[in-house]
Amino acid sequence: MSQPNDELRARLRERLLEQALGEVLGGETPPDLSDKILAAAERLETVSTQRKEPVMEKSRRSRRFWAFSAAAACLVCAVGVAVFQQTRSAREDRQVARQSAAEMRRSPKLRGPSSMRSEEAEPGAAAAPWAEPPAVGLDRDPRGELAATADSSADGRALTLGERYSRAEQARQTFGNFPGQPTLRGAETSTPGAAPTGRGPGMGGDRYDRLVETPFRAVKDNPLSTFSIDVDTASYANVRRFLLQEGRLPPPDAVRIEELINYFDYDYSGPTDDVPFAAHIEVAGCPWQPEHRLVRIGLKGREIENQQRPRSNLVFLLDVSGSMDSPDKLPLLKQGMKMLAEQLGENDCVAIVVYASAEGLVLPSTSGQQRQKIIDALERLQAGGSTNGGAGIELAYRIAQDNFIQGGVNRVLLCTDGDFNVGTTSTGSLERIVEEKAKSGIFLSVLGFGRGNLNDAMMETISNKGNGNYAYIDGVTEAQKVLVEQIGGTLVTIAKDVKIQIEFNPAQVAAYRLIGYENRMLAAEDFNDDKKDAGEIGAGHTVTALYETVPAGGKVDLPAVDPLKYQAQAAPGGNQAASNELLTLKLRYKEPEEDSSKLLEFPLVDGKAPFGRASADFQFASAVASFGMLLRGSEHKGSGSYQAVLEIAESAKGADKHGYRAEFVEIVRRAEALAE
Amino acid sequence: MADRQADLAGLVRAHQAGVWRYLRFLGCRPDEADDLAQETFLAVIRDGFEQRSAAETASYLRAVARNRLLMARRKQRSSPPLVDLEAAEAVWARVAGADGLGDYLVALEECLQAAVNPRVRRALELQYRQRLGRAEIAAELEMAAEGVKTLLRRARSALRDCVERKLGR
Repeated sequence: MSQPNDELRARLRERLLEQALGEVLGGETPPDLSDKILAAAERLETVSTQRKEPVMEKSRRSRRFWAFSAAAACLVCAVGVAVFQQTRSAREDRQVARQSAAEMRRSPKLRGPSSMRSEEAEPGAAAAPWAEPPAVGLDRDPRGELAATADSSADGRALTLGERYSRAEQARQTFGNFPGQPTLRGAETSTPGAAPTGRGPGMGGDRYDRLVETPFRAVKDNPLSTFSIDVDTASYANVRRFLLQEGRLPPPDAVRIEELINYFDYDYSGPTDDVPFAAHIEVAGCPWQPEHRLVRIGLKGREIENQQRPRSNLVFLLDVSGSMDSPDKLPLLKQGMKMLAEQLGENDCVAIVVYASAEGLVLPSTSGQQRQKIIDALERLQAGGSTNGGAGIELAYRIAQDNFIQGGVNRVLLCTDGDFNVGTTSTGSLERIVEEKAKSGIFLSVLGFGRGNLNDAMMETISNKGNGNYAYIDGVTEAQKVLVEQIGGTLVTIAKDVKIQIEFNPAQVAAYRLIGYENRMLAAEDFNDDKKDAGEIGAGHTVTALYETVPAGGKVDLPAVDPLKYQAQAAPGGNQAASNELLTLKLRYKEPEEDSSKLLEFPLVDGKAPFGRASADFQFASAVASFGMLLRGSEHKGSGSYQAVLEIAESAKGADKHGYRAEFVEIVRRAEALAE
Repeated sequence: MADRQADLAGLVRAHQAGVWRYLRFLGCRPDEADDLAQETFLAVIRDGFEQRSAAETASYLRAVARNRLLMARRKQRSSPPLVDLEAAEAVWARVAGADGLGDYLVALEECLQAAVNPRVRRALELQYRQRLGRAEIAAELEMAAEGVKTLLRRARSALRDCVERKLGR
């Protein structure tokens, strides 16, 4: 390979720096394309394994729509394009050929996997793991080539720039404006036949990540199930708002079932020894699928009375940008923060940072005893300007750092509608800041307010990176729950990086499915990897996870994996497998200020209890799960119905001190009416 | 199937930003980079892939992205000019590394704090964040336009040295 000359290299390094500055300062960051790519890959996979047809066949219906709008433009452009492209493609073909030939000469990488030897490769320009077909002459027919990416117009011709823009424009008009995602493919990624997803019409700017339900897994192929806990409850409050305040069903991707389940208090007893939480496992019949068994794992964090909370250094980081100027945003935010301030005392200090066009310190770190001073500062806030969340976050962390309490709670509480769109801050660099600060002991909690701008996806992501929690405040009642009743859980983290791993016994269980936690799944090896971040548990928090299991010998409709050729066959009737244990629950967690994890293990034997004999908490949680599956239109909802959910929830309401479960019944009724 | 899904998701998560940035570096517009990054992953997924080291994977993805870019350019009517691809690859492989510029960005953020004074940082913010022209920056900082040019050039040079020193590249 010829070394490029020095001047060219210097220019390119300059260019790289310019680009990096554009990203760090100008916020020009890469978009998240995962769901688009994965959805297209899924289509690719399904179609190519099942029918051996081009992928686009499946989405031809959606293309038909574009056929009409593109037809006129095609006719006009066709002649000109044809003439132009002939000359152009001849020229560019030569460049492709040159480039590919150079590629081939330069490294052995394009020869294909079998001939590849990585140690031959130069450092940095490492060898290629797979064979990329040479570009020359590849798919001269755009029908075959571009089929996979839906990036051709109805006649199979590559889109012209003008068409791309007009398509993007149409997509924006239909689906709202998403920075960095100007192509239509976002619209095509939703599962065919599913109800509109979070990016559907009428959703304004609210953004939800696509959730793909976890399928059943065969125990013999996947005996381990690993995930990170999640104590967030935002999704429930959000769903409630859709149903009660807006009178419509929520988009499926706004429904995170684990957050629905975890919204409720369950009467699990706390730990008796010095571990931070206790585990409660229960198994009984599955209400929506009588042949299946439902396993509930419940964790309960150690309670800490408000008076016994460790010393706290809190920084409220409040969004006062123009978009917050709505009754369900800034006024509610002020009220919520005042309610929180009321709970604080001499052991706490609070600083208030606001951000809009410019960030500003509204209140320097002030003792919780000077309650009136804090409340006055909150009172004075007014909304206006655009949002520079990035600069605000930096300032908030600086203040938190300046007032750091060793061994205490150091936390930034970010209150926003999630609209970070001006300034430095891309999700990527924000995540980096937040993650780095979490390592230095300053955690982040996110409180979401209002609707129309809610960047649910980003708020969840950054609260996860920041060892924090994410709650959605849809009204004063929710503010009361999160900021007053559960203040310990909101402020005090008692264990971090809490991971759950279940090992199923193939002699007892044929297949299993974790309900919810889709975006919390971990690889089995992540369980023992202390570098792998996972969820936190706050004081008094409960975490509940449900597994639907198919007993051994039960009918499992799973695509079978071919028997492995080289693996040693497990001895039939091996000693451990013969055990009557259903599964073993393994938990890993770290104390908030430690870097190495601790392990807890609990085996479970199925007592064969029918659903009716399960505890009220078990029954209620399963009703919530069934409700979530109904809202998501899940293929695993079985015989579940709103009516069944109502019956179970009403009978399993229990003491219901705060009325949350009664409200759930109300919400289910509303959903039932809306679904008809 | 489920494992493969997880592998794909992992592949995309780990490398999508790098591929996108690389395409931008080669001269793609943002929307074009969006499209080509998607096509790159789909091409790799379609041809089957196996997970190798991050550096090998990143390098392979770049090769695919380059080919996609050239093919796309062949089909387009007008497009912004590209840089010299071979030289660009060499510089990228050496400076940006296997993590698609991730370390570089972190280093740059640190250097922005450490290697330039507040006034220079302000000038850079005006240029890259507020996207002001040289004359406007000069007015804002109350200095001559020619001075701004020198200031920014020195700043970039200091940052480049700082970043590349930090990364040892």
